[in-house]
Amino acid sequence: MAKHKTEALKCWNKAKELREKYYKDYASAHDRGGIRWTGGAWSFDAIPYGLGDDVYPLTGEPYAASIAFNKEFSMKCLEATEAKGWARDLCSYMRNYWGSMYLNKFLFGGPYPKPDFGFQDHICCSHSKWYQVVSEHEKFPYFSIDLSVGPYKDIQGNPHKVRYIVEQMHESIEFMEKVTGREYDDEKLIEAVKTDCRSTSTWAKICELNKNRPAPLEEKSMYSLYVFGTLSKAKKEFADFYDELYDEVKDRVDRGVAAIEDERCRLMSDTQPPWGFLKLFRYLETFGALSIGSLYTFGLIGNWETKPDGSFCARTTPMELGVSIDSRDKALEVLADWTLSRPEWQHFYDPSLKTEMMLQIAKQWHVDGIMLHLNRGCEGLSTGIMQNRNGLAKSGIPIMTYEGNMGDEREFDMNRTMARIESFMETLDLQPLEKA
Amino acid sequence: MVTIGIDVGAKNAKILILKDGEILISKYRESGFDQAGVTTALLDETLAELKLTRDDITSICSTGAGRKAVTFANEVVTEVSATSRATFEMYPEVRTVIDVGAEEGRAIRCGERGKVEDFAINEKCAAGSGAFTEAMARALELTVEELGKISLDSSASVPMNAQCAVFAESEVISLLHANTAKQDIAKAIHDAIASRIVSMTRRVGLNKPIALVGGMARNVGFVHSLNAAIEDEVLIPDSPEMTAAYGAALIAAERAA
Amino acid sequence: MFSQFETWYRDRHEYARKWKDRTGGKVFGCFCSYVPEEILVAANILPVRVLGSHEPQDVTEQHLFGMFCPFCRDVLAQGLKGRYEYLDGITLAQACIHLRQAYRAWEENVEHPFSYYLPHPMHVASPHAVPYLKEELKNFRKAVEEHTGVTLTDEDLDRGIRILNENRAAMHDLYELRKGPAPKVSGLEAMWVTVSSTWIDKEEHTAEIRRVLAEIDGRDKDFGEGTRLMFVGSENDDTDFLGMVEMVGATVVVDDHCTGTRYFWNQTPEMDDRIEAIAKRYVERPACPAKDHVVRTRFPHILKLAQEYDVAGVILIQQKFCDPHETDMVPLRSFLEENGFPCLFLEFDVTVPMGQFRIRVEAFLEMLMEEDLF
Repeated sequence: MAKHKTEALKCWNKAKELREKYYKDYASAHDRGGIRWTGGAWSFDAIPYGLGDDVYPLTGEPYAASIAFNKEFSMKCLEATEAKGWARDLCSYMRNYWGSMYLNKFLFGGPYPKPDFGFQDHICCSHSKWYQVVSEHEKFPYFSIDLSVGPYKDIQGNPHKVRYIVEQMHESIEFMEKVTGREYDDEKLIEAVKTDCRSTSTWAKICELNKNRPAPLEEKSMYSLYVFGTLSKAKKEFADFYDELYDEVKDRVDRGVAAIEDERCRLMSDTQPPWGFLKLFRYLETFGALSIGSLYTFGLIGNWETKPDGSFCARTTPMELGVSIDSRDKALEVLADWTLSRPEWQHFYDPSLKTEMMLQIAKQWHVDGIMLHLNRGCEGLSTGIMQNRNGLAKSGIPIMTYEGNMGDEREFDMNRTMARIESFMETLDLQPLEKA
Repeated sequence: MVTIGIDVGAKNAKILILKDGEILISKYRESGFDQAGVTTALLDETLAELKLTRDDITSICSTGAGRKAVTFANEVVTEVSATSRATFEMYPEVRTVIDVGAEEGRAIRCGERGKVEDFAINEKCAAGSGAFTEAMARALELTVEELGKISLDSSASVPMNAQCAVFAESEVISLLHANTAKQDIAKAIHDAIASRIVSMTRRVGLNKPIALVGGMARNVGFVHSLNAAIEDEVLIPDSPEMTAAYGAALIAAERAA
Repeated sequence: MFSQFETWYRDRHEYARKWKDRTGGKVFGCFCSYVPEEILVAANILPVRVLGSHEPQDVTEQHLFGMFCPFCRDVLAQGLKGRYEYLDGITLAQACIHLRQAYRAWEENVEHPFSYYLPHPMHVASPHAVPYLKEELKNFRKAVEEHTGVTLTDEDLDRGIRILNENRAAMHDLYELRKGPAPKVSGLEAMWVTVSSTWIDKEEHTAEIRRVLAEIDGRDKDFGEGTRLMFVGSENDDTDFLGMVEMVGATVVVDDHCTGTRYFWNQTPEMDDRIEAIAKRYVERPACPAKDHVVRTRFPHILKLAQEYDVAGVILIQQKFCDPHETDMVPLRSFLEENGFPCLFLEFDVTVPMGQFRIRVEAFLEMLMEEDLF
C-alpha cells in the first residue's frame, strides 16, 4: 500500500515543449534573421544576449545527452567520429556531437545547423578542444574563455583572478561584434546577467526542497528539469519556468506529495548517469529507494553557498544583496564572480572541496547511501572521484560505485550494474518492495 | 532443519545442503545455457543421493549471477552477501575476503556477523578473473592447472600490464616471440591478475588476515602471486568454490528460523 | 661519452639524496614542465621533475580512477611507494586534469612540508595569459619565500634565470649536433641528457653537456645511417622503446615532448620585471596540447622542427587516455602528412608491448625506405 501520495508534475509538459522549442528556435534562427552560436553548457551565455533578442545557443552537452538517449542515432554518431580516427575514450558528449556534425544530421531534424560563431569556456581538458575541432570543420569563428584561476575560496584577496576572466569577456564582446557586425547592447547584457543569477539560484532553491521527507522530486525527473540551466542560464523564458517550478514543488512539499510511493531509503548519486539507461532509477524504486539528487544535478548549474549556520543553500543573488549593476564592466565582473562559485567547478582544482559539499548534502538531505557513477565518458566530472569516494567513506555512509559511460552504451553493462545495485540494497538491508 | 544453498555462477552451478549447521553434501556442475534445467536436475540428484525429498527441505536460497533462474528458491541473495556470510562462519576474524570466480573478481569488507560493509567488483574487463587465466593458458597451450603449477618454477619478475585481457594476450604473444620461458610468462600472468585483484581490494581496505574464495583459489600459481603481493598468506577453505552456496544455505537457515 | 647522463637517468633518487646531503638545500618535486623553476633555483631549491618508473603497480586504483592516463598513475605510485620521500615540497603547475589528480592524491597521502598548486593559464595564445600568469607567479614567489624564510632579490631571480637559460642554451647546442647528415649523438643519448636535465642540478648538468660538446668532435662514430625520425607526443622517458627504435635502423634526431624540447626550447627573456619575464617564457614556450588554444601554435612549431631536422617520418606517441594529445592527434597527423611527413601512431602504457611495437616500427621504416627508392 502506498505510504505517500504521488502526483505527476503539472509543468512536465511545459518543460517538454520548452525544450523542443529551444532546439527548433536554434535551427530556424537564420530564417528570422537571428544569430546562432554553439558552445558549452557552462559558456557565459549571458554575454551573447547583448547582441539582441534573437540570439540562439546550441550547447553541446545537453544536445549530446539527447543524442545518447537515442541509442540508434548515438551509435551512428560515435561510429562516424571513430571513422575519423578519434580515440574511443574521449569525452562521449564530444564524440556524439562531432558525429552529428560529421553526419551532417541534427537530432531534431534536418542537417547540422551551422552556427555563426563558437563561444566556449575552458575548465576541463576537452572544453576548448571540442569547438576548436568543430570550428575548423565547419569553418566559423571561435572564442573561448580560460577559467584557470583556481577554486572560488582563493578569489578573495586575489582580484587579478576575476579580472583575468573579465578581460577575456571584454575581448569576447569585441569578437562577437566583429563576427556578427552587430552593435552590442550593454542593457541587454545587464538583464541577461541578472537572469543568469536568478535562474541558477532558483534551481538551487528547488533542489533545497528535496531536503524534505518524503522528497518531492527524485533525480530521474530532476534530470529533465535541470537541463534548462544547461541550455541557457540567461534565458528569461527558462528563469521564469524555474520560478513556476519552484512554486509547484513547494506546493508538493506543503501537501506532502512525494516523488515515490514508499520512500524507505534516500540515496545520493554523482556525475552524469548513463543516459540511455535511466531505468536504473526505476529499479531503485522497486526497493523503495530514490535518489534525492547529487552535487551534479544540484550544482552543475545551480549556484550554492554555505550559510553562516552551516546550511548548504542557494547563493544569495547580487540583486538580493543590492549590488548595482550599471555598466558592462560591472555586469561582467558580477557574472564572473557569480559563476566562479559554481559547486561543480571546485573539484577541478581540489577534490576535497567537492567531498565537503557532498558531505553537506548527505547530511542535510538525510542520505542513507551513496551511488557513485565512475563515468568513463566524462573526465571532467570524474576528476578526483576516487578521492571523493574515500572522503565520503570516512563518514561511514555506505557507498557503491559502478562503472559506465554517460554517452557510450558500449561501456555500460546494465545487468551487472543491476546486480551490483541489488548487492548494495542488501548492505542497506533493503528487500524488494513486493517481498517486504 | 535442512536448508540448501544454490549458487549459479557464470560457469558452474553449485549446491550445498546444510542440516542444523552441518554440511551434508556439496556438488557442482557446468551451468551451461539451461541454468534452470541444470539446477533442478542437480537438486533432485543430490536429494536422491541423501535419500531426501523436497518436503524435507525447510528453505532454499539461491545466489550467483544466475540466481534468478532458480525459480523454486524461497530466498534470493547476491553472491556478495552470501560470500560474506559464509566467510564469517568459517573465519570469524576475517574482515576482508577476496572472491575470484570465472567471470568476476570481488573484494568484500565484512563487518559484524558477516554483514557486508563495502564491496568492489572488477569492471567489464575480464583481466581479473578465471576466464582470463583460461585465455592465457590457451595462448601458452597449457591447461589452467599446468599454468598454475609451472609458474611456481619461476622466480623471474616479467612486468606485464594486464589492464585488459585482450592487450594482455598480445603481451603474452610478444613475450613468447622474445623467447621468454613459459614458466616466467605463467608467473607474469598470475602476478598481473594478483596485482589487479590487490589493487581492487585496496578500495575496500586490505585488512589482514584475508580469506580467498572462489574457483581461482585452486590455482596455486595465482595464490602464490597473491600472497607475494599482500605479503601474507591468504586463508583458503577446503572447497573455495562452494563458499557462496554455503553462505546462501546459512542465510536460508537464518531467515527460516 | 654519455655515461654520466645515463647514470643520472637511472639513479635519480640517489642523486637527489646526495645533493641534499652535500648542499643542505631543499628539493621540490615538480609535477609538470610548466613549473617556473627559475624561482625555485633562485631560492636555492633543486627542482626535480616527478616521473614514473615503468613498473606495473597495485597502489593507485583506490585513489585515481582507471580512466586517467597510465603516466599520472605511475607518477602517483612513486609517491605512494615512498620513492620520493626526500622531497621537501611538491608543486604542480596547472596543465592537464590527469596529472592534477596524481598531485592531489599524492598531497593527500604523502606528507611533505610544502605543497603548492599553481594556477596557470590554459590559453597560451591569449593576450591575457602573460599578465595573469605574472600575478600567479608573484603568489608562488611569496609562498616559496615564506617557506624558505628568504626574500628573493632581483639578483637571486637573475641567477635563477641565468642558470636555467645556460642549461637551455647548452641543450640547444647539443641538439644542433643532431641536425646534420651524420649526427654525433643518438636519440637514446639525447634522451638521457634531456630527461636527466629535469632533475639534475642545472649548473652541474650544463657543465657535463659542455664537457661532452668539447670532446664530441673527436668521437669516431656517428648515427648517420639510420632513418631520421622525430618523436612527437605525450610525456615520454621510455629509453627501452627509443633504444629499440634505433636498434632496428632509425636515428631519432628531434622530438616534441615535455620531457624533451618543449622543456628547454625557449629562453627567459631579459626584462626589468623578472617575474613578467618568467611568465612570458612559460606562456611562449612550445605548448602542451592542453594549453594550445584557441589558435593552434603547436602545429607550425612541430613542422618547423621536422623540416629543420630533416626527418623522414614522425612517430606519434600518446599515453593511453591522454585527452589533450588525443584531441590533437587526428588533425596533427593530417597536418604532418599533408606536409610530407609520414606518421606512425603508437599508444603508450606504463610498459609497452615491445614485440608488436618493433614490428610496427620496422614496417614503418620499410615504408619510408620505399619512398626513398621511388
